[in-house]
Amino acid sequence: MLLPVLGEFALWTALPIAIWGLVLAFLGGRWGRGDLVLSAERSVHAVTFLLVLASAGIISAFLNDQYQYWYVYNYSNRELATFYKVAGLWAGQRGSLVFWALNLAIFSSLAVYFNRARNREFMPYVVGVLLVIQAFFLIICLFVSNAFELLAFTPPDGRGLNPQLQNYWMVIHPPTLYLGFTSFSIPFAFAIAALMSGRLDARWIEVTRRWILLSWFFLANGIIFGMRWAYEELGWGGYWFWDPVENASLLPWLAATAFLHSVMIQEYRGMLKVWNMSLVILTFLLTVFATFLTRSGLIESVHSFAQNLTIAWIFLGFLAGVAVISYGLLIWRLPRLRSDQPFESFVSRESAFLLNNLILLGALFAVLWGTLFPLITEGFTGSKVAVGPPFFNQVNIPIGLALLALMGVGPVIAWRRASKRNLLRNFALPVSVGLVLTLALALGGMRHGYALATFGIGAFVLAVIVVEFWKGTQARARIEGEGSLLALFHLVSRNRRRWGGYIVHVGVVVIFMGFGGAAFDVEVRQSVLPGETISLASPYGHRYELTYEGISTSRAQNMIQWVALLQVYKDGEPVGTITSEKRQYITTQQPVSEVGIRSTLMEDLYVILATVDDMPGVFLNSPQSERATFQVMVNPLVGWIWYGALILTVGTLIALWPPRGPLRASGRGTATPGVGAAHPRGDPSPSVPAGVGG
Amino acid sequence: MALMAAILLAGGVVLYVLLPVLTGESSPLDRLDDEATEEDSRRRVTLLALRDVEYDYVTGKLDELDYKSLRREISTEALEAMDRSASAAGTPPPASAGVATSERERLLEEEIQELRRGLKTGGLCPGCGAALAPGGHFCGRCGQALRAPPSGGDSAGTP
Repeated sequence: MLLPVLGEFALWTALPIAIWGLVLAFLGGRWGRGDLVLSAERSVHAVTFLLVLASAGIISAFLNDQYQYWYVYNYSNRELATFYKVAGLWAGQRGSLVFWALNLAIFSSLAVYFNRARNREFMPYVVGVLLVIQAFFLIICLFVSNAFELLAFTPPDGRGLNPQLQNYWMVIHPPTLYLGFTSFSIPFAFAIAALMSGRLDARWIEVTRRWILLSWFFLANGIIFGMRWAYEELGWGGYWFWDPVENASLLPWLAATAFLHSVMIQEYRGMLKVWNMSLVILTFLLTVFATFLTRSGLIESVHSFAQNLTIAWIFLGFLAGVAVISYGLLIWRLPRLRSDQPFESFVSRESAFLLNNLILLGALFAVLWGTLFPLITEGFTGSKVAVGPPFFNQVNIPIGLALLALMGVGPVIAWRRASKRNLLRNFALPVSVGLVLTLALALGGMRHGYALATFGIGAFVLAVIVVEFWKGTQARARIEGEGSLLALFHLVSRNRRRWGGYIVHVGVVVIFMGFGGAAFDVEVRQSVLPGETISLASPYGHRYELTYEGISTSRAQNMIQWVALLQVYKDGEPVGTITSEKRQYITTQQPVSEVGIRSTLMEDLYVILATVDDMPGVFLNSPQSERATFQVMVNPLVGWIWYGALILTVGTLIALWPPRGPLRASGRGTATPGVGAAHPRGDPSPSVPAGVGG
Repeated sequence: MALMAAILLAGGVVLYVLLPVLTGESSPLDRLDDEATEEDSRRRVTLLALRDVEYDYVTGKLDELDYKSLRREISTEALEAMDRSASAAGTPPPASAGVATSERERLLEEEIQELRRGLKTGGLCPGCGAALAPGGHFCGRCGQALRAPPSGGDSAGTP
């Protein structure tokens, strides 16, 4: 097989090319030598090509069952479906580090290509920074965690893939998250390039605006896909357990969300320059930190299968080095990063944004502390202290509610300074909507304080957003003489970032309401024989009855399945069947559960086949052997999390959509206010205000 | 076979990377004339602020009193920024040459109105930001030739 051999050779070739490129990029930038910079830019493309080849080599080794490779032997077997063999590239530490490098390389090549005739003062340093990151990952891939390492002999078969990873989300969730992690290297590289080149105005933010949004979008979806995976596969009825690796993916998202908001203050008001630089550096460090936590084996987690702690120290060294150099550059440039304008009033939109940033960072440090605390105490005392969901929920639920409330406050407050009278007038309707809903729910019997607050504040935010759309549409319709629908269409299409952002907020509110539903989860655990019934009352008042029909067995490619069938009745009316499984993979000892889920808009019926009394006996058709224990749950509003994610996606795509017209070509044009649809709050004139005109 | 392929691969990649150093072919390192300068960015920030104040006033987030005082403050900032931007671009600053304040405000209003027209027709000049006539090949204000956009975007660095 030629491809794995060539792939390994390509990986070895990529490192010197990356080092050559990074040296030439910095020298070319310093000496003003375009030939050196071009060679460095070509190095970026060459590394991308070589990493594509290396990745193809790994996938080829999986597809062709080449168990002489340690990595293939440990993460595959002959019976594994082709689908998962391809995904083997990111199934374990060694392959996923190559996959990280590949993603970074592709994004780097795109950044170099898009900027071949633009932003040239930044590019030598951008290329240099990207190749430094790339070289680091290549060093890890080659010297510490090599996917092409050969065993001393060729085993006849592999050890197989962890059964929990054999789920279709395995093909979707990790790549999405990695796309988020790696794409954030581009804004980071531009920020460092701004510091190195001395071009410290908002240009680096303008240039990377869509990159930031794209990274945030991938991170958000990667996290939500992971939640869906946990919900479907881990079989405990929840979607978030504050697992260290879950937390690790949340950390850069929190920082990126803060950054996404604070850059607007720099763009509109020329303020918070140091803060934005600090945030972009912090977000990048957290993306590397997340990769480090996931793949170093330092913290035990369902995600972490690595044993080699050498890699942990190397990662920590890299993180420390990047932090020292980046913040060192920032300190060096401090005198030139003063704000153009001061804060004028505490009651202003920029203050609301700053508060949003502080709260997000509060959440970030709480999660970081809770994640690292067990490790730190273990380091000092030798005994591990578990920090579980109660700590994280206690800290983060109030923080989340405060953030939710700010999503409603921000759009209503004016920039610079807002008067109390106007605030009261603008808040009257949304606050009333929130209070009415809270009161109605309380009168309806809801007694859970946090849930009441979530729904009340959520309704307030939704009302604010609806009123914003209404006012904008009405203003535009009045000024331009358009019909309401056309006015709404133009309103959104002329300032996609702003209105797309509001739609993202709607998605976040819906997701929060989905979280709120968890306060009312109910469950029952019962052992039954075929023909017997499990009964459970939904928090909405209706009653589910599940009649256990029995178990059937089947043999799939690499496992045996025990499939329990249950008839579902809602208030006595049949509404269908639900199946829940036990699977015994041929490569593992412990059987795993596959849950059965019946989803509706308002609730999920969630059935876990916990145990089967006599699994081998089922093959003999003995009725007693089919006695099984089920855990049945009703999870209200859980589907809203996934619907909210869809709304969030639509909003982000609107905000990301590129503008039309000749302005797309123009750098000077981007510096001009109101440059078309994608411009933030690009209102065109005093008579046709921000986001209304066009 | 594998060795031959590896040698070809390495040779091809090294040649591709080294060629610019050997031939002197180079990438541009300077900002292009039509790219935004720092002065442009400052000008943009102030004009954005002006438009935000307008929107906040129209949608009832600002009192008339606050609106008027803010508008006065930001207009002054905007005019100063426009002067600096024009100086940096090498064109005579309309305000600094002794033009009366009312005349400067009129120029600002004109610029805003032009932007509005540009947004309605979908085109603004990449050089000076003036509104473009539909189908025109040159900017009516600064005379810049209008070329087809390279495959970038308003921020060529964005994906």
